[in-house]
Amino acid sequence: MLSCVDLAKSYSSERGEIEAVKGIDIEVQPGEFASIVGRSGSGKSSLLAMIGGLSRPSRGTVRVEDTDIWSLNDDRLANFRNRRVGFVYQFASLLPTLRIVDNVALPALLHRAQDAADAYQKAAGSLAQLGLSDHLDAYPAEISAGEQRRAVIARALINSPALLLADEPTSDLDEETERRIMDQFRALNREHGLTLLMVTHNLPLAQQTDRIIHIADGRLAS
Amino acid sequence: MPKKSGIGFLLASLALQNLGRRKARTLLLLTAVAICGGAVFTGAVLMQSIESSMSVGFTRLGADMLVVPSGTLTNITAALLTAEPTDLRLDDRVLKGLEALKGVEKAAPQLVFRTDASGYKGRGEVVDLIAFDPARDITVQPWLEQHLERPLRKGDVIIGGRREEALGSELMIFGWPLTVYGKLGKTAVGTHERGLFITFPTLADMRATMQQICGAKGPLEPEKISGVLLELAPGAKTQQVRFAVLANFPGVKVVSGESMLTSIRQGLTALLGGVLALMAIMFVSTGLMVSVLFSAIITERKRELGLLRAVGARRNQIVGMLLMEAGLATAMGGVGGCVLGLLLMRVYERSLVYHLDSMGIPFLWLPAGTTSLIALSCIALTSLIGAAGAFYPAWRASRLEPYALIRSEG
Repeated sequence: MLSCVDLAKSYSSERGEIEAVKGIDIEVQPGEFASIVGRSGSGKSSLLAMIGGLSRPSRGTVRVEDTDIWSLNDDRLANFRNRRVGFVYQFASLLPTLRIVDNVALPALLHRAQDAADAYQKAAGSLAQLGLSDHLDAYPAEISAGEQRRAVIARALINSPALLLADEPTSDLDEETERRIMDQFRALNREHGLTLLMVTHNLPLAQQTDRIIHIADGRLAS
Repeated sequence: MPKKSGIGFLLASLALQNLGRRKARTLLLLTAVAICGGAVFTGAVLMQSIESSMSVGFTRLGADMLVVPSGTLTNITAALLTAEPTDLRLDDRVLKGLEALKGVEKAAPQLVFRTDASGYKGRGEVVDLIAFDPARDITVQPWLEQHLERPLRKGDVIIGGRREEALGSELMIFGWPLTVYGKLGKTAVGTHERGLFITFPTLADMRATMQQICGAKGPLEPEKISGVLLELAPGAKTQQVRFAVLANFPGVKVVSGESMLTSIRQGLTALLGGVLALMAIMFVSTGLMVSVLFSAIITERKRELGLLRAVGARRNQIVGMLLMEAGLATAMGGVGGCVLGLLLMRVYERSLVYHLDSMGIPFLWLPAGTTSLIALSCIALTSLIGAAGAFYPAWRASRLEPYALIRSEG
């Protein structure tokens, strides 16, 4: 499903070149629920951004379902992000001026293969599955942080991706909401066979996944 | 089921909502564009109006110079509207030479033939028959107050302001029936007010009959004219052109018109050029202002753009959305500018136009259709300038990696 080879990422800063990720090899099998655990600044979010086609690696390759994603041109890479991966971020990532249902339908609308009616039907269905059917016409500011995070999960799943990437998906949430979101992830993994890769600094949360990948100072830790 | 929107509509509504999110800034942008658009719209309408008014208004003040045979007795008036009736003639090669002379914008030939033998009204009334060239004319057609709803043609006559014949009626001149095509306004210049104006081809048709009736006094040779009325080019000096004419064409006399009128005409032409340059500068500065503003707007919205990119929006969709936002904002500013311009023109109408009218200089507003077309062009242009101004910051933002955009502080 996912194969990363010698993946590295450097950033330029006033203090010179900073290597956030220093050559990482990872394999994730189809249907696996894996977590990447490390301290703040260990390079785990940069790693996830490279895997998700958001940030170009300084070196190395990322293959998702046999596609070397960083060999794609910009439009194809946009299609890849739209159709093959879903993202859940650690911050409120809904567009504040769009309704919840518009936010969720957005990736489907960008995916030109389906018309607006289908996209909205799927968005309403996804939101209903996540218990948000009463909030279709609400704006992000009108619902709670936990509900916003669930709406983001609905948006990430709308184009039926092969891989769901979650970057600290339960940060800033209370324990009850955190539990509900993890239950949601496990259900998606077990009932729908969705492959999940979650970044977290919360070890107890990581222990609920199939496999934990430790990362420290931009390298895999034993 | 919630209301459904296509991706184009959704991106357009994002653009509109973003404008509404920062009301004060959007209002400032709209105001700045409205002032610029209003100035350009007003400038364009007034410029066009002044140009058309000049062609029928300032031209009415007469030619800048009159070139006649050197022995001609001239009764100098403030307005040079016609050559004087005289038996002396100029060769029409002088006309071609004058047209080619530096500083001469237009050269209008006339042949004036005063006669009491035309048979006009069946009596021996003295008539000034004036042949002119409609294509080169600068002093006859600007004074047309009424005319038939068709172009002037061979066999037509235009009557001076003191003549009474009805439009479309027939006049018998030297036995030739001429149709009254139009009537001129009153000018207080005798020859012009009493004249019967015909084209050179009409005169050519009548020439043989005229020779029979008038003998040697008739307009004998076809290539002869009584004089040439000159309009000077913008910036040309009256004295320089006068000397050039006298130096190049022996046997001619130059009569200058009112130099102040020539200066006004030339000054206005230069002013119109200046207004055009100012309009171009205003549009460029609007483009730069929009560019700076959108650089700031995009910096604020990097996270939103990054999220759109992360869920699959392509670069061209991001650029398109931002250009649409800039184009919409500046188009709204353009609409406001046109409304502002119309109000300004009302003020202008009650002040300067009133004074011009009282001086006898008519101010002709453009037809409503043309004004609407200028307004639409102005709105389209402001929208285009807005989009052009936002293009570089939008393009630059679209080149950034989604992750870099998402990590930016919104």
